[in-house]
Amino acid sequence: MTRLFKDERLGYVASRLLTTVLIVFGAMVLLFALTALVPGDPAKSLLGPQASPELAKRFIAEMGLDQPLHVRLWRFFGAVLTGNLGVDVISGKPVVQLVASVLPYTVILTFSAIGLSVLIGVPLGIHAATHRGSASDTILAFVSVAFIAVPSFVIAIFLLLIFAIWLDWLPVLGTSRSGEFLDEARRMILPTLALAAGWIGFIARLVRSSMLEVLGEPYIRTARAYGLSERLITYKYALKNACIPTIAILGLGIGRLLGGAVLVEIVFARPGLGRLVYEAVSERNFPVVQGAVLVVVVLFVVVNLIVDLSYSAIDPRIRRSSGQGAGA
Amino acid sequence: MAEPLVAIRNLKLEAGTARGRAAILRGIDLEIGRGRILGLVGESGSGKSSLAACLIGLTPANTSAISGEIRFDGQNLVGLDPTAFARLRGRRIAMIFQDPMTALNPLFTIGTHLVDVLRHRDPGLSRAAALSEATAMLVKVGIADPEARIAAYPHQLSGGMRQRVMIAMALLMRPDLLLADEPTTALDATVEAQIVELLAALRREVSGSIVFISHHLGLVAQLCDDVAVMYGGTVVETGPVDAVLTDPRHPYTRALIACEIDEDDAPGGRLLSIPGEVPDPVRPMTGCIFAPRCAHAVETCRSEVPELRTSGDGRRAACLRFEELP
Ligand SMILES: Nc1ncnc2c1ncn2[C@@H]1O[C@H](COP(=O)(O)OP(=O)(O)OP(=O)(O)O)[C@@H](O)[C@H]1O
Ligand SMILES: [Mg+2]
Repeated sequence: MTRLFKDERLGYVASRLLTTVLIVFGAMVLLFALTALVPGDPAKSLLGPQASPELAKRFIAEMGLDQPLHVRLWRFFGAVLTGNLGVDVISGKPVVQLVASVLPYTVILTFSAIGLSVLIGVPLGIHAATHRGSASDTILAFVSVAFIAVPSFVIAIFLLLIFAIWLDWLPVLGTSRSGEFLDEARRMILPTLALAAGWIGFIARLVRSSMLEVLGEPYIRTARAYGLSERLITYKYALKNACIPTIAILGLGIGRLLGGAVLVEIVFARPGLGRLVYEAVSERNFPVVQGAVLVVVVLFVVVNLIVDLSYSAIDPRIRRSSGQGAGA
Repeated sequence: MAEPLVAIRNLKLEAGTARGRAAILRGIDLEIGRGRILGLVGESGSGKSSLAACLIGLTPANTSAISGEIRFDGQNLVGLDPTAFARLRGRRIAMIFQDPMTALNPLFTIGTHLVDVLRHRDPGLSRAAALSEATAMLVKVGIADPEARIAAYPHQLSGGMRQRVMIAMALLMRPDLLLADEPTTALDATVEAQIVELLAALRREVSGSIVFISHHLGLVAQLCDDVAVMYGGTVVETGPVDAVLTDPRHPYTRALIACEIDEDDAPGGRLLSIPGEVPDPVRPMTGCIFAPRCAHAVETCRSEVPELRTSGDGRRAACLRFEELP
């Protein structure tokens, strides 16, 4: 029985990995198409309207833009798979290097925001569900909805005004030059809060509604019929079930969170993927846009993969549905 | 007769609904003898589950009033403080539910379920000791390969096996009162028969009393000592099972038995049923609750509420006219 179980799980992981790879390939084709088929002359848009025809011709040959589409697509795949995302047309640096230098900022910001929202949102959601209809439940509902409705960059601007400019408590703009940990941590506080605020409310609402649903399930009634304490029922029997929809939504929300991180980075003048893409777009620096977006896609897909796998670690029924089913 | 384990007097349960106050139980009078199995029968909506909910202290959230008395071993359960009630549950009172598919938490193994309830009953018990006790009980309820089953999740077991697990869980409590709310309804006929056989065989394991709720009079006749027939939130007839089922006094009991016989003749559905509808709990009761559907109802039946009256050796029926009936 246990062996069967492990095999089922392996099968699930394998099928999930395969879809992940397919999604990344799909994204690559799409990105390639976007830059290859974008209307307008790439040489003109990159070199400017004043470039001489000879220069444009040489540029096009150098970039391989005169080759047929399938050859270019093939080359693009080959390059990406060997870790070559092209060259920044302005600075001449490899795009991989540019992305790698800013990626940690975005990743750390996003994950500390998720961590903070889970840490605060889950207990708030449980409290609201177990104190349904109380004054704290009502207030929480109100505040959560308000936070969800306001975009994170607006919260970022408010935090910036209040804490950095008005109260002058925290250093805010940019990152610490020295890379010193404490200083950097303090500079992270406001961006993390700005990014997490909506998510705290969102997770609190989500956990509340899933908890309420789970608490009405027959198996909770069974637990009550056997006199198990409300604490055990809430934190063990109900919370684990309520986590499943929460994790699913979290996985889907990662994309939105990354999008929010981009704007928050710009407000706080922090380095990161957001600023990189923003600047590259305004300079029509296509290789950088392409490379950075591809990295974001991979990040998104990998996080979703992790979420899905953790989901199956919690819920034994998912492991089964992909396998051939255990004997009953 | 010795003092009963449970004596219910004029138990009323009301709940607030969008359509007004629903009288779910309209004054139940009933006794559950020590060591006896009481069958609770009646159409859907007659209040069987609600009575069980009162006995285990898990009345619905929209309950607006509960009155009367449930003497359980001398202690009144109506209005009992919730923590005191929680101590009774899983120690002296246990329950098996209708649908074993949903009564077990899908994310926890059978072992976790059994160990947690065992350690609620006996907080000093180690996990290992609890597991071995649980394994032994799984064998008793007829589960082969108990070590593997204890590590399994509910979805990996068949419906019948899950119900055996529920029975094991209840028996592990060694309860004084075991409530079984249609424990076989969700199972197919063969499995149903097996579970009833198991319950009959396990009678000795349960030193206490059992309330067996069922639609199925045949099963009740097979398993129970006593029977109570419920209708519209009241008990209309009660007594030893053989006497009540062979010589029913109340017109409703007669109608119910007639339906059951028809059902046996025509397998595949409850084609024949009692004409008319089950009473609406929101409508107040003025006379006999069964009068609107009763073939023998007369004028007084619609204005006077019948009490449960002795109708023979240990039997009682709530009908004004049972002496006159053919
Ligand atoms: N929480 C509630 N609020 C309002 N009405 C309720 C509530 N619970 C039960 N009822 C009503 O009370 C009546 C008795 O319900 P109950 O579930 O006890 O019947 P039952 O005899 O167990 O039926 P079944 O055989 O279908 O299980 C039904 O009419 C039902 O609609
Ligand atoms: Mg019921």
